[in-house]
Amino acid sequence: MAKNPDDQRLELLQGTLDMLILRTLQWGTQHGHGIGQAIRTQSDDLLKVETGSLYPALHRLEKRGWLKSEWGVSEAHQRAKYYRLTAAGKAQLSREQDRWSQLVHAIGRIMNPAPAGKE
Amino acid sequence: MRPDERDLDEEIRGHLAISVKERIERGEDPEAARLAALREFGYIPAVRDSMRRVWYSRWFDAAAGLACDMRIGLRSLLHAKGLAATVVVTLALGIGANAAIFSVVRGVLLRPLVNRDEDRLVYIRQSAPGLGAANTTFSVPEINDFKPRASTIAAFGDFSTIDFTLIGFGKPRVVQAGVVSGSYFEVMGLRPVLGRLLNAADDGPDAAAVAVLTDRYWTTALNSDPTVIGKTIRLGSRSATVVGVLEPSVPYPADTEIIANVATSPHHLGATMVTERTHRMTELFGRLAPGASLEGARAELTAVHTAMMRDHPEAYAAAAQSQVSVTLLRDQIASPARTVLLLLLAAAGVVFVIACSNVANLILARSVRRESELAVRAALGASRGALRRTLLAESLVLCGIGAVLGVVLARPLVTVVARFAARFSVRALEVTVDASLLWVGAGLAIAAAVLLAYVPRLPSTHRPTGFGPARGGARITPGTNRRLRVFAATQIAFSFVLLAAAGTLLAALVALQRTDTAYNMRQVLALDVPLPIEATGPKSIDFFQEAMRRIATLPGVARVAVGSFVPWRDAGRFGPGFQFAVEGRTPADGEENPHARLRNVAPGFFATLGVPTLAGRDFTDDDRPGSELVVIVSQSLAQQMFPRGDAVNRRLWWTDPYFGKPAPRRIVGVVADVDDENVAAAGRALTIYHPLRQLPFGGRLFVHTAGDPYALVPAVTRVIREISADQPVERAATLEDVRAAVLAPEQLNAFVLSGFAGVALLIAVVGVAGVLAFSVSARTRELGVRLAMGSTPRRLLVRVLSEGALIVTIGIAAGAAGGYALAAVASSYLGTVRLPGALPILGAAAVLVGAAVLASLMPAARASRVDVLQALRSE
Repeated sequence: MAKNPDDQRLELLQGTLDMLILRTLQWGTQHGHGIGQAIRTQSDDLLKVETGSLYPALHRLEKRGWLKSEWGVSEAHQRAKYYRLTAAGKAQLSREQDRWSQLVHAIGRIMNPAPAGKE
Repeated sequence: MRPDERDLDEEIRGHLAISVKERIERGEDPEAARLAALREFGYIPAVRDSMRRVWYSRWFDAAAGLACDMRIGLRSLLHAKGLAATVVVTLALGIGANAAIFSVVRGVLLRPLVNRDEDRLVYIRQSAPGLGAANTTFSVPEINDFKPRASTIAAFGDFSTIDFTLIGFGKPRVVQAGVVSGSYFEVMGLRPVLGRLLNAADDGPDAAAVAVLTDRYWTTALNSDPTVIGKTIRLGSRSATVVGVLEPSVPYPADTEIIANVATSPHHLGATMVTERTHRMTELFGRLAPGASLEGARAELTAVHTAMMRDHPEAYAAAAQSQVSVTLLRDQIASPARTVLLLLLAAAGVVFVIACSNVANLILARSVRRESELAVRAALGASRGALRRTLLAESLVLCGIGAVLGVVLARPLVTVVARFAARFSVRALEVTVDASLLWVGAGLAIAAAVLLAYVPRLPSTHRPTGFGPARGGARITPGTNRRLRVFAATQIAFSFVLLAAAGTLLAALVALQRTDTAYNMRQVLALDVPLPIEATGPKSIDFFQEAMRRIATLPGVARVAVGSFVPWRDAGRFGPGFQFAVEGRTPADGEENPHARLRNVAPGFFATLGVPTLAGRDFTDDDRPGSELVVIVSQSLAQQMFPRGDAVNRRLWWTDPYFGKPAPRRIVGVVADVDDENVAAAGRALTIYHPLRQLPFGGRLFVHTAGDPYALVPAVTRVIREISADQPVERAATLEDVRAAVLAPEQLNAFVLSGFAGVALLIAVVGVAGVLAFSVSARTRELGVRLAMGSTPRRLLVRVLSEGALIVTIGIAAGAAGGYALAAVASSYLGTVRLPGALPILGAAAVLVGAAVLASLMPAARASRVDVLQALRSE
């Protein structure tokens, strides 16, 4: 899982991966690969989730009861595990979203006047 | 592989497939797409590994923490080498002793026998508690009564022993042979290692005489020679063909070298054996019928036996209280060893408790010194669980090393204990060191480690008063002090129980060894001269007459005599005694005729063994067949039957049917009482002696020597071989040594238990000394203040000594109370438990008090020499 040094991608902030996964699943069930792709495309290729972090995170979230998984058949006619947000997961997502906007707001004020963002 | 892992693999496969497909759809070359997908995914085992961390996160954290703690523990123990070494050695002793004894207990008491379906194999015994006979065995008519009437026993097998002179394998020797019915091996469920065993076709008088060798005899005496099968050997007067070798199995009831069918033994075919109900010499085994229970068999056989006694009242004296018992063969074999082994197991357990409490003391004292370290860790946020884990890790390290050492120590111990237990159960001979030893060691170590981890008190998080990292010394809190004393008192209590038990055994042994036997023990040599069956009877008289005449002329021989019974060694040879009646005395209503032991002796027997003749005369050569029948009686018999002291010249006769028609015999002499059956409880024995010539059954030679008795053995043997070249001469020993051999198990019991008690005493004394030393060093300041306030060193010395005495007193009181409670509990499981007399208890208490005072002396002396200034400065 060596990282490409010439990669322009951004490192995920610690603790944000869970939130991103929950957010991605808000639109419906998805399998692990799909979640990784969604995060990548929606961030314009800036964020890339390592599989070594993605799957442990998925299982951790499932263990905490925020996700539920079931086996299904993917568009590639391959058996894949589909993850779905639970009610508890939705509640968790809104909590994290609140916390995140507070954080962005707070950091943004410090870094004023530029709008919240990175580089 | 757990389901999670299989799921994950499938999930990864799915991920890769989707990724590859997407790439191909984007126009990538399939092979390149596959590689790119793999590269993008990353190193799969690493993913799996991080998944495991999610799945087993709790265990991962705990194990990682414990491993880290153990490293720290090991390092911190290296700073306290003396303490660590003491703890490890103490634990090793405790764990080693327990593991070794448990191995033997398991091998002897718990392991199944090799016999097929051994849990259905029972041993049936007839006993006569009224006569003190634990095993009267059965007669053939009795067994024939059982066979058709017992529905709970599918098949009976019988076994009796007889001595044969075996000719055909090397030198002629007398062997003890088992004579069995055709069903015996089938019932016992044993297989041959070579050839065949005996079966129904070998039963009865008309079958060919055949014999089976036991594996032990075949491997040791015959070097596992396979050509023995088919060989013809001579067994006494008959020839027999060897047909097979029996697999190794527990020899019970007798360790014979060969097992033969009935056709080999003229005695077994004789009328006495077949028709005489009281001619009991056969052991009986049975296989429970399908569906029958042990209790059912017990009830049914008891009922059959009761009916049998009702039908043949002449064969069952009411006073004998004859009864049958049915036990699993495995339990029967283990039963003599049971008490001894459980006793040893208890002793080992006690040593373990003592070792643990001693170690607990050391650990506690150490934790007091580390209180500041623990307080710092607690202050820095370590949870109580984490602190406990630190302590657990340390005690695990200690106990682990102790267990390893203990198991190493246990291996030779198993051999010693097994050899010891072999005196009580033949099964101990097959005890081997196996993995159970490791499990026991590991189990005990973990138990000890967990216990020890909970001994020290954790610094309170609410009240961090003990927080004084700058102070290097120890400060002892009242709570810790109390714990230290409780552990020390526990050790004393348990040591006291062990010491008292060992003292009881020793006292019993000393009493036994002091018992006056009335024999000349040192100068009398006893030898077995078993005549071949065909040479017994009247013919044997000439042989023994000639042997005595020639031996008497050997230099160094003072007297020589022939008898039928070597004291103690031949115990049980003639059964529990026979009924007799005396002239002019009719038993009161409901009273039975008394029983007496029967012995045959040649003239000079009493003088040779040193038994005083109290009245009348000894036998002479004129007391022969055809002349008047005469007997000599023991003092007890004379006093009991003839209270007026006029036994001589009165008449008595055997009423036992074994002797046929009662023939009156005149009493010509009275000799002192000797108890040649029991070494332990020497009782007042009723004995009737016959002149050998009138009842020609001897086979035991007694030589009273002037010098070293054993120096005469070769000469005596040579003289006997001159008369009869094939005649075996065996087991030469002085009466003293015969008695010592019989007493050996008691001696060993006392010795082993004393060993345990000694170890316990040592540990306990070290414990008391350690507690006091610690208490003194922790209270240096207090002692300094006391000295400064005008207390004399003498008073401090007395003060510390009395502290030690207090611990010991409390310990002894607790031990005595606990010991009696334990005896009460044990007696409900083991039947009667002998409570120790006053002497062993007082002795044990005296030893403990003395040892404790000695142990307190050193710390007390140190207390009295405390330097006031230094003590006050130390704070």
